[in-house]
Amino acid sequence: MKNTMVIDLDRCIGCYSCEIACKMENDVALGVYYNKVLTIGPTGTFPDIEQYFLPTICQQCYDAPCVGVCPTGAAYKAADGTVLVNKEICIGCKYCMMACPYGARSFNEAQKVVEKCTLCGHLQAIGEKPACVKVCCSKARTFGDIDDPNSDISKVLREAGSDNIHTLPDSGNHPSVKYILHRKTAAWQATPPKETWRNSNQSGRKGDKQHG
Amino acid sequence: MGSEWSLVFFTSFVDLGCGLFVALAINEWFSINPQVRWRGAIAVLVALALGGFSSVLHLGHPERIFGALSHPTSGIFIESSMIAITGMCVLAYLFALSRNATHQNLKLITFIGAIPAVILAFAVGDSYVMASRPAWDTLVLPFAYLGSAAVLGCFAYRILVVSPSEHLVTRLKLLTQGLLILQAILMAAYLVALSNAPYSDASRSATQVLMGGFSALFWGGIVIIGLLVPFGLTTLKKESVAPVMSATLGLVCVFIGAAAFRVLMFNVGTTVWQFF
Repeated sequence: MKNTMVIDLDRCIGCYSCEIACKMENDVALGVYYNKVLTIGPTGTFPDIEQYFLPTICQQCYDAPCVGVCPTGAAYKAADGTVLVNKEICIGCKYCMMACPYGARSFNEAQKVVEKCTLCGHLQAIGEKPACVKVCCSKARTFGDIDDPNSDISKVLREAGSDNIHTLPDSGNHPSVKYILHRKTAAWQATPPKETWRNSNQSGRKGDKQHG
Repeated sequence: MGSEWSLVFFTSFVDLGCGLFVALAINEWFSINPQVRWRGAIAVLVALALGGFSSVLHLGHPERIFGALSHPTSGIFIESSMIAITGMCVLAYLFALSRNATHQNLKLITFIGAIPAVILAFAVGDSYVMASRPAWDTLVLPFAYLGSAAVLGCFAYRILVVSPSEHLVTRLKLLTQGLLILQAILMAAYLVALSNAPYSDASRSATQVLMGGFSALFWGGIVIIGLLVPFGLTTLKKESVAPVMSATLGLVCVFIGAAAFRVLMFNVGTTVWQFF
């Protein structure tokens, strides 16, 4: 079993609702994100320019390096494949933050522990979907068990076709989150994004902040 | 990520302690200078304690550190256990000295203690070797940490040694010069590793280090203060400056150089793709 997410970038309109819903649902501190929508582009030369929105979250890696480096076992993989943090035993060494290839973890200054997207486990426990999935007005996000061929997520992937399914750069961690992007929308950019309107001076090229 | 000063000082002080303890082991093995034993061993303990204290400052919840015993393959477990073993060997050495132990026993204790000391000096760098940070994903990094431990140990030993013979001073200078050259080669190798790292990005390029935002840190902190000035100090004639003062200045310089390399490492250590 592997619970993860498929995000259809052909559908994403960049409304940032998922970002806000995530922060509201998980009480994420100001300047910290579990989920952030990046603007990729524009690329190309006028008038042939392209742009798409890339909602980023913990990639729920199959070989999550954050789990391997944790000295206390606070970073762990749950039975449903979700990578989680047990805040009760986290010593706040930030090793997992260093090991994450995407900087998807952040340090909670108030609790002095590391935290990240949980795929809204507390909502799943009462039969609901993660907040970002529920709130998405364009139905761009699909959540479910990617190992189950009959799950919604597997059906969405089958319909998209393998040529249109992308993952973020893999440095041996094997990210499980999939992105759907057809060439008619834009060409998939395999290099780090350039934020065009927000945090332009710290868009992942000037070094990563651990905590915003 | 930021400069992570607590980790910069943790690894720098630990490397100082490790380098000095290996120097003491060599001193013991070749029966060079018995007067350095006590002061050297205490200096090692102080350096390791300062390193350990710095590492604690990095933790959000140091009171939970014993949870690290549950995961013996993590970098923190290896570092903690090696510090503990090295520290115990130094204490055993001091105890043996206080009991006027035979030279054979002192040799044995320092020889056993030098093994975890070398592993520790390497391990504090090896912990950062990870694929998620292309600028760190090279074995040059732990060898550079090991190299800085060696030069720090040489200068610290020179400060502590009492009335050294001319022969010892000459040998020590040659050894220090050789290790500084080796360290310079490792710095060059690190730049080559940066150039060849996957997922190239301006934030961690060799150009950024040589001519960009980190050039002052690299040329000023690592090359001039960390390598050239200490090398120059080892070439001074005995009469021109007091040897202990020269060695103290050299130690300060190589310590700054070691810290500068660590600061550089943290600043070029950006992730494959930074989301937030």
